[in-house]
Amino acid sequence: MPRPPDTSLITDLLEQLLHGITLGAMYAMVAAGLALMLGVARLINFAHGEFFMLGAYAFWFAYSELGMPYPLAALLAPAVMVVFGVAYQRTVIRAILPRSWHVQLIATLATSIVLTNLAIIVFGTQPKEVPTVLSSRVLDVGGLRVVWQRLVVLAASLLIFWGLQRFVARTRTGRAMRAMSQNREACAVVGVDVQRTAMVTFALSAALAAAAAALVSPLFNIFPDMGTTLTLKAFAAVVAGGFGYVNGAIAASFLIGLTEALAGSYISYAYKDAIAFVIMIAVLLWRPQGLFGRRIGI
Amino acid sequence: MRLVLTIGTLLLMALSAGAQAPPIRIGFASAMSGPAAITGEGVKWGATLAVEEINAKGGVGGRKIEAFFADNKAQPGEAVSAVRKLADVDQVDVIIGQTHSGACLGAMPVVKEIGLPMVIEACSHPKIREMSGKGGNEWTFRVALDDEIMAHTFARYMARQGVKSASILAMNNDFGRGAATAYDAAFKKAGVQLLSTEFFDPGQPDYRPVLTRLKRANPESILAVILASDGAPFMRQFRELGLTQKIFSRGSLGSAEFLHQVKDNPRVGDGVVEASYWITGLDPEWDRKWTERYKIPPRIHGSLSAITLRWAVVPALEIALKKHGKADRASIRAALEEVDVKDSPLGPIKFDANHQAWINMILIEMRDGQLRILEKLPTSPALLN
Repeated sequence: MPRPPDTSLITDLLEQLLHGITLGAMYAMVAAGLALMLGVARLINFAHGEFFMLGAYAFWFAYSELGMPYPLAALLAPAVMVVFGVAYQRTVIRAILPRSWHVQLIATLATSIVLTNLAIIVFGTQPKEVPTVLSSRVLDVGGLRVVWQRLVVLAASLLIFWGLQRFVARTRTGRAMRAMSQNREACAVVGVDVQRTAMVTFALSAALAAAAAALVSPLFNIFPDMGTTLTLKAFAAVVAGGFGYVNGAIAASFLIGLTEALAGSYISYAYKDAIAFVIMIAVLLWRPQGLFGRRIGI
Repeated sequence: MRLVLTIGTLLLMALSAGAQAPPIRIGFASAMSGPAAITGEGVKWGATLAVEEINAKGGVGGRKIEAFFADNKAQPGEAVSAVRKLADVDQVDVIIGQTHSGACLGAMPVVKEIGLPMVIEACSHPKIREMSGKGGNEWTFRVALDDEIMAHTFARYMARQGVKSASILAMNNDFGRGAATAYDAAFKKAGVQLLSTEFFDPGQPDYRPVLTRLKRANPESILAVILASDGAPFMRQFRELGLTQKIFSRGSLGSAEFLHQVKDNPRVGDGVVEASYWITGLDPEWDRKWTERYKIPPRIHGSLSAITLRWAVVPALEIALKKHGKADRASIRAALEEVDVKDSPLGPIKFDANHQAWINMILIEMRDGQLRILEKLPTSPALLN
């Protein structure tokens, strides 16, 4: 016999809030990278979701195929993607950066399609599951049931966002990134190594996407198309957050995650994405400059 | 004179040796890319294996078979492009596909317009039967059972198990919506109260909001119309939330594909009962060849494509070649109406006036990482009453 319904509205609401924050954390790590690229390089990388997908496969390979312990595999995935981010910047981005936005759009979209299809060829279409001990162990607090991995996602994402703030605010490279996001030409004139800063930005963005992938992969499936919708959601967060303002993108990501979770649970699961995007449109109609106003720089 | 005769004989011999009968061109359409690419990959593997087998035995009527593939991305619009590519570029004589109901419904008007027979291996939207054969589209045939055919039997089985109430969770596409409508009607007839219907987009990372909705509705059972790829995270999160409802399923939740995906904890699927028409073990020789070649258990859509080729299309080709001496599109279409196979792995294959084959339906139970056939039931139009 099924157990009687859990009528606790608070537990129900808490469950959705927790779920929304987990989703938001995933979106935020991807959106933060996208915002960094937009802010520093003035480029929208439509292949950014595929960075997340490749990071997930790197994690799967390290954890499932090489048998590395979870923390090591979760650190290796961003390290691999740092190399990929640098290679991407030096090949694709360098070539298209001086060109018009049309060229940039087509080139990054094309990269996205190529990477997805390469993943189908290399890894196959069978979704990969990477369950860990923490993803199957349930914490039950007064009827609120959550697997430990979700708490790891929350704690690790907080740590990552704190580290990102410190890096951008305190380090020489971080300050160069902020300066470039305000005036690229002036930076070049005063001797900032523009190419190197752009390269670090792409490496950092790729690492953030891979970190998100390594954190959430034990909860979800890994498959070649997993980055496609994610790019759209991260892009929506970047737009709503103020076009390249990193903290704005992070905040908007959590808003999207929470909207999805609450709309999916209380209104309609089938249309939760549509509801989230309608709210984003409403936000932009109300504040066309983004949630946090027009800012200069990241 | 003798010289002329000798040269003439030699020329004739050379001509007859060179004029080997052209291959019969068969197109396979499925989702080769996009979120449902796993189905197309399986179709490609299954078709390749089956075509190699047929050709190794000399082909059909001495003619080899050549396979061509097209990507429908599981979308109706893309299915139109897939049909046009197979018809115009590859010049195929018959299509097997399109795996996904939406793609099938999208392809049907085009095959009718072109005059190209299409044998459907897996789409289960009830409308396909209504629209085929005497329903208006003479070029479409279906081997797979549809959800209206299966729903009444499955709903009655659920009622026999003591199920009084259910919620439906279905994919937000033509397959899921078609099944949801069919089960809504079937539950009413069987006396099972439908408490709620939820839809989800395939490829979702997280099912917790919808599971919470199901928890709130508190049905005794859930009918999940879901494929193995989505089924794995769904079942894990179902257990995470501590839900205990009995799960009945349509799609490929109760399958070797699912068990392969959750091999770290196969008991996550314990107790699921799936309504289907294919399972590993129906053709052990096929299972062995597939596993040897691809190193994973046979996939449902690849196996269904191969069965459709071997037990529906090849017999039609034999009839066409025997009766008309040719295997062009029109003669294959006519021959498909005469196919009468008694013992395919799926059961009998004989198309009725709506070009629907009435193969066996099977109920499968998953327990301890194993699949077990609970019941194998013959089907007939009487099931719809």
